[in-house]
Amino acid sequence: MSEEKSSVKRRDFVKKTSALLGIAAFSATGAKAFSLTNPGREKKDKRHIGQETKRFVMVMDLRKCVGCQACSAACKNENNVPKEKYRTYVPEYELGVFPDVRKAFLPQLCNHCAEPSCVSVCPTGATFARKDGVVVVDGDICWGCGYCINACPYDKRYFNPQTNVADKCTFCAHRLDAGLLPACVESCVGGARISGDINDSNSEVSKLLKQFPATVLKPESGNQPRVFYIGLNGEIQGLPFSLGLLDDKVKQKDGLTPKEWSSKGV
Amino acid sequence: MDLGLIVSTISTITPDRPWGIDIPNYFWFTGSSAAAFIISSFAHVFGMKEFKPIAGFSLLLAFVLLIAAPLNLIDDLRQPGRILNFFLYGWENFPTSPMKWGVLLLMAYPLLILAEAYILYKPYFRRNSTQQRTKEEIEKDEKLGFMLGAIGIPLAISVHGYTGYILGAVHAIPLFHTPLMPILFLASAMVSGTGLLIIVLPLFQKFFTDFKKIDYAMIARLARLLAWFIVIDLVIRFFWLTFAITFNSAEKYPLSLFFGEHLMEVIVVEYILCLAIPMIIGFSKNLARNFWIVLFGGILSAVGVWLFRWNTVIGGQSIGKTTPFLLEYHPHLFGPDSIFSIVANWSLLIALIAFVMVIFPWDKEMAKYYVNKKES
Repeated sequence: MSEEKSSVKRRDFVKKTSALLGIAAFSATGAKAFSLTNPGREKKDKRHIGQETKRFVMVMDLRKCVGCQACSAACKNENNVPKEKYRTYVPEYELGVFPDVRKAFLPQLCNHCAEPSCVSVCPTGATFARKDGVVVVDGDICWGCGYCINACPYDKRYFNPQTNVADKCTFCAHRLDAGLLPACVESCVGGARISGDINDSNSEVSKLLKQFPATVLKPESGNQPRVFYIGLNGEIQGLPFSLGLLDDKVKQKDGLTPKEWSSKGV
Repeated sequence: MDLGLIVSTISTITPDRPWGIDIPNYFWFTGSSAAAFIISSFAHVFGMKEFKPIAGFSLLLAFVLLIAAPLNLIDDLRQPGRILNFFLYGWENFPTSPMKWGVLLLMAYPLLILAEAYILYKPYFRRNSTQQRTKEEIEKDEKLGFMLGAIGIPLAISVHGYTGYILGAVHAIPLFHTPLMPILFLASAMVSGTGLLIIVLPLFQKFFTDFKKIDYAMIARLARLLAWFIVIDLVIRFFWLTFAITFNSAEKYPLSLFFGEHLMEVIVVEYILCLAIPMIIGFSKNLARNFWIVLFGGILSAVGVWLFRWNTVIGGQSIGKTTPFLLEYHPHLFGPDSIFSIVANWSLLIALIAFVMVIFPWDKEMAKYYVNKKES
């Protein structure tokens, strides 16, 4: 009898402790698991928080841009941007009709908006703005639904075919955090790209914005972009602005098979 | 003549778009599911007795459609293995990310349908069928069925309405960006759902029941219902297009560019062939009496709504944001988010319909109405 009793007791003990352990384990993972943001931000990872007192912006002085694409190349190099994808690029336009014609260049990159429409729609919290305003994607969290890519009014996000997650310009956050300039700024031959902290009234960007009238692309988007343009032609501010794309037309003529998404041509 | 400043793009990049053929298919599935649920509620909740024979059948159809639908979404993901992240992280975006609402809706809705179907078919699941149910039991079940149906209607509307929100919230794409989008989606969903019932119901009545007879009066009734749904759909589309293209601000330019480019396709195929013709069939007494013509109208309307979903999702993304003119979409034949995915999804839908219809005694329940009719 006593043996039976003790075995019952033992079983009871095992049951109770395992139940308790189970609850403890569940609540522990539960506490860790559900998050308003994402694990990196909860852990206060420096790469996720950024430089708290600053607000990084970029100024494009179009008077100095010559369309050399050094920025596009430097960016691809620095950030390992896959083939046929670009974080920054410089489209070329022709304004007017021959012989009264001139060229315009419009360097573009993520605007690191103050009200980023890509961030608010993200269902996994993978994309967010750091405290210094840099909008980044946590490549370990993103599940690749593409909502942010469609939500960006500036077309500055893409699926990285190597990592299979949404990807974009980070203002070279890894360089900024190390006290360096973004690769595109560093490589700009004409000094058309200037980046810095707009909270610091002595920074070059603050001085430029005080001195010259500046504007942003598609101001009606409501996103409050933080890449400012000096000398931007109103005709190309709204994007898109013409019917034909010569590049794709040439590809069509050459008989290349169309990609999944390609321009419909002229 | 205002020439303005002529701008030509010499070079730029051609961006990819994230959503492919899976997404219009997903929208079509959830929409048709919501419609099938609402039609089933005509009898359960609104007491429209003439729809009672198909209430159970369309309820099961709604369930199957909604089980197959989210697989389209998973296939569209670039990292489907990380689906858990959707449930765990990013809850601060809940108010602003309609995609997040889907977590709750896509889980609650099928459970509710399942509960309702269980209550409806409970008497048929009893092993001892000779055992009579008491009046109280029957009343209790009917009350429960009514309650679930009443909760289900707003849920069904939400489960499809939220997909309209997903698109409507995207102000970067002029074709998506309208507060009418959820209503527009719901109205066209009623069209495709009724169309689907017109296709599937006779098939099942003829081949998979004991009475083996198509209820032609019901088909004519559905044709008329379809016609009314098309009227509602057309009225909403009229408001949408007039405001979007004519009275809009800057968004009217890309929209008129888009509709100008697809004018014939939209007017001839989407509106005349797939909406006007089924509507005429439904309202004409002579045509609605002919089963084959009604079936044809049903197929047209179901296909037409699929095309509308396609034109909205793919067409919206084809509008350039930084690139000139429109983009063209060439879906892959194989692999994720391809034509083959859609074929696979439809095959699964057919398999699921077969599976659910085998498990649930819908034919016995449906026979009740037709056998009784004969006797009386």
